[in-house]
Amino acid sequence: MLEWILRGLAKGRITTRYPHAPERPAPGFVGPLVLLDPDDAPSQLPAVCPTGAITVEDGHVNVDRGRCILCGDCVRAAPDRFAFSERYESAARSRSALVLGAESEAPVRPVLGEQAGALRRSVHVRHIDCGSDGSEEWEIQALWNPYYDIQRLGFFLTAAPRHADILLVTGGVTTAMRAPLERTWEVMPEPKALVAVGTDACSGGLAAGGDEVAGGVDQVLPVDVYIPGSPPAPVTILDGLLQAVGLVNPQGAVA
Amino acid sequence: MSVTEEPIGLPDHLPETLDVDCETSGNDELWLRVAADGFEKAARTLSDAGARFVTVLLAGSPERALMAVFALRGDLVVLRAPLGADEAPPLPSLGAWLPAARWAERELVERFYPERMGQSGRWLTRPDASQLDGRVTGLDVFSLPFGPVRSGVFEAIQFLIETGGEDVLRLETRPFFKHRGLEARLVGLAPERAVHVVERIAGIASVAYASAFSQAVERALNVEPPARAQRWRAVHAELERIACHLDVIAKEAETTALYVGQARFQLLKEQTMRIRAALTGSRFGRGVVVPGGVRFDGRMGLDDLLGQLDSLERDLRRDRRLFLGTASMTDRLIGAGQLERELVERYGAVGPVARGSGISTDARHERPYGDYRRLGLRVSTARDGDAMARVNVRFGELAESLRILRQSVDHLRRRDGALIVPYPRDGSGAAFGWSEAPQGELVIWVEVHNGLVQRAHVASPSLRNWALFDHAFPKDVLTDFAFIEHSFGLTPAGADR
Repeated sequence: MLEWILRGLAKGRITTRYPHAPERPAPGFVGPLVLLDPDDAPSQLPAVCPTGAITVEDGHVNVDRGRCILCGDCVRAAPDRFAFSERYESAARSRSALVLGAESEAPVRPVLGEQAGALRRSVHVRHIDCGSDGSEEWEIQALWNPYYDIQRLGFFLTAAPRHADILLVTGGVTTAMRAPLERTWEVMPEPKALVAVGTDACSGGLAAGGDEVAGGVDQVLPVDVYIPGSPPAPVTILDGLLQAVGLVNPQGAVA
Repeated sequence: MSVTEEPIGLPDHLPETLDVDCETSGNDELWLRVAADGFEKAARTLSDAGARFVTVLLAGSPERALMAVFALRGDLVVLRAPLGADEAPPLPSLGAWLPAARWAERELVERFYPERMGQSGRWLTRPDASQLDGRVTGLDVFSLPFGPVRSGVFEAIQFLIETGGEDVLRLETRPFFKHRGLEARLVGLAPERAVHVVERIAGIASVAYASAFSQAVERALNVEPPARAQRWRAVHAELERIACHLDVIAKEAETTALYVGQARFQLLKEQTMRIRAALTGSRFGRGVVVPGGVRFDGRMGLDDLLGQLDSLERDLRRDRRLFLGTASMTDRLIGAGQLERELVERYGAVGPVARGSGISTDARHERPYGDYRRLGLRVSTARDGDAMARVNVRFGELAESLRILRQSVDHLRRRDGALIVPYPRDGSGAAFGWSEAPQGELVIWVEVHNGLVQRAHVASPSLRNWALFDHAFPKDVLTDFAFIEHSFGLTPAGADR
C-alpha cells in the first residue's frame, strides 16, 4: 500500500485550476460549432447537416448547437462559414440560448445557488441514462478523475435520488426509460436542478424522429441547463454544472 | 456478394450430413443455401460440428432470405434460406436448443413477427422496469431489481437478482432499456453519412463500429481502402482498446476501494483519451474512419505520438506490477465469476470474456482484416475463466496493443500514400464487415442499393456476451456483483442499439 501512496505522491499536483484558470483545448479539437459568417447563405445549405442543426431564413443562417453532433460535415463543406470553437464552454440555461444568433428565453427556474445559497459548496449529483451511446457516461465519470477532480468544487456523486440536488440526464429518453426518469425526478427533494448532458439529451440527436426516442429530455421534464456535444468534453460538462449552481454565469465569469 | 449458379462441393471441415448447397467459398466466408424447411436441421448440424453462432437476420439482398451466421475455424459460415416475397421465415427455430441464438432470434421475431410471440411472458425488446417475476421461492428468498437507474454513473440496464441474502440463486439480465432504433435510422442514408450513426451505436467503441461498417460497405461495393488508411484504422482501433481496457481496470480498482490504483488507471485512461483527441480532434476517435479509407492523417506528429506511447507504457508497467501485487485487489478477483469453457462455447461468447476462459478467438487473428493481415497478433488468453483471468487478458492485450501501435507508426513513417479511395456513389451490393471491438467480435451486415443503405444489421459483442452474465455467479455472492460485471466490460448501448 505504501508503494501506491508514494506512486501517487511522486506524480505531484496535476489537477486543473478550472474555473479559476481557463482550460483551452489543443489545436484541432472538435469543440462547439461556431458560425463565422451568418449572411448570404444559399438555401440548400441546411442539407449538409445530418441532424437539421442548420437552418437558413432569408439568407441568414441559424445554428442550433443543441442538435449539432460535431460531425464536421458543415465545416468541411463551408469552411469559411463554420468552424469549431477554441473554447470548451457551450452550456446554456435555456434551449433557445443554444441557437447561435437567436433571442434566448428566460431559464425555467432560478439557479440552485439563488434558491439555497448554502448549497453552492456541497452539491450532490445523481446520474440517469435514458438512452445515451455510452460516451457521455465516460466523460461524466472523468470529472471524478484526478485531473478534473470535481470534488474540490464541492460536487459529490450520490447513489440515492432522494439525496440528490442535481440530476444529470444523458440520452434522448427512450420509451422504456421515460417512467424511470419521471420517477427519479419526482423523488428528488426541492430545490433541485435538471441538467441535460449531450446532444442526445438536448434534442435526441441522430436518434430523434424515430419511434423510440422522445427527442430530448425537455419533452419529458423541464431542463435547467443544456450541455450540448456528442459527447461534451469533461470541461464542457463542468462548466454546465457550475452554471447550474450559479458558481459561474453564462458568460463564464466566476461568480 | 456474387452468387455462383452452379453449386460447388462442401469444404472438408463441414460435416457430410449437412444437407445444403455450397454457393461460394473463400475470402473468409462460406455461403450455404438451404430450403426453409431444412433451416433448423442444417443450423443444428453446423452447431454440433463446433460452429460458433454469431447472429440471425432477415436479408433483402441478393434476395429475400433468412440468414444464420456462424463462425467455424475463423471463417464466417452463412446459412441462407431464400424466401418468396410473402413467405414467412421459419422462426422461431434456433433459440429453443441453442442458448447463443435465444436473444438474437427473439429480437428478430418481436420486431418483424410480433404476432408469433403469443401470450407467453414478457418482451425482450420492450422491457418494463416495474414488471418483475421472481421464479425462486423459499424461506428468506427475495427478488432485488437492480437498475435501470444504476447507483453511480452507469448506462441503463436492469438485473433481476434473486437471492437468499448472500448467494445469488438466479440472475436475469434485462437489456433493451435504451433501444434507440439506430439500425432503422441507417436506412436511406448515404454510407458516409450513415457512419455518423454507426459511431454512436456504442460510443465507447466508435472506431470499431465505424471500421466494421466501412469494411462492409467497401466489400459490398468492391473497393479496397489504401494501405495507409488501413494503418491509421489500426492505430485508432488499438488506442480505443487501450482506453476501454484501462477503464475496466480502473473500475475494478474502484470496486475494491483501492483508490490510489483507481486514480492511477483513470489518469492513464485520460492520457489515452488526450492522445486520441490530439490525433483526431475527438476524444473518441470519431470522424476519421469512413467508407473508402480515413479522412485525414493523424494530426499529431509521429515522433510526438511515440513519445506519448513511451510514457504511457512506462507508467502502465509500474502500475500493473503494483496492481497485480496488491493482495486485497487480486483476492477479490481470483475465483470470482468463474465461467466454464464449455458454457462459454455454448453461448458463443466473444472477446475478453471468451479469451479469459481459454478460447482463443479474436477477429483480428481469425479473419485478419485491414492492416492486421500484415501486423500479426499474439492472442492473449487465460485459462481460469474467473474475473482475474479476464483482467489478465486485458493486461496482455494492453501490451500487445502498444506493440502494434509502435509497429504501425514505424510503417506509417516509412511510406506515404493515399488516404482514401472513392467508391461508386450509385453502387449496389451487400456484404458483411467485421472488427474486433474492445468488447469482442463485431459483425455488421450492410445492404447498399443505388448508393444508399437499404438495410443494416449489427451483431454486437455486448449483446452476445451479456446472455452469459446470467450464469456468471456459480458460487459467488451478491457483493461480488460489481467485480464480475466490470470484468465483462460490456456496454448496454452496443447491445440495445
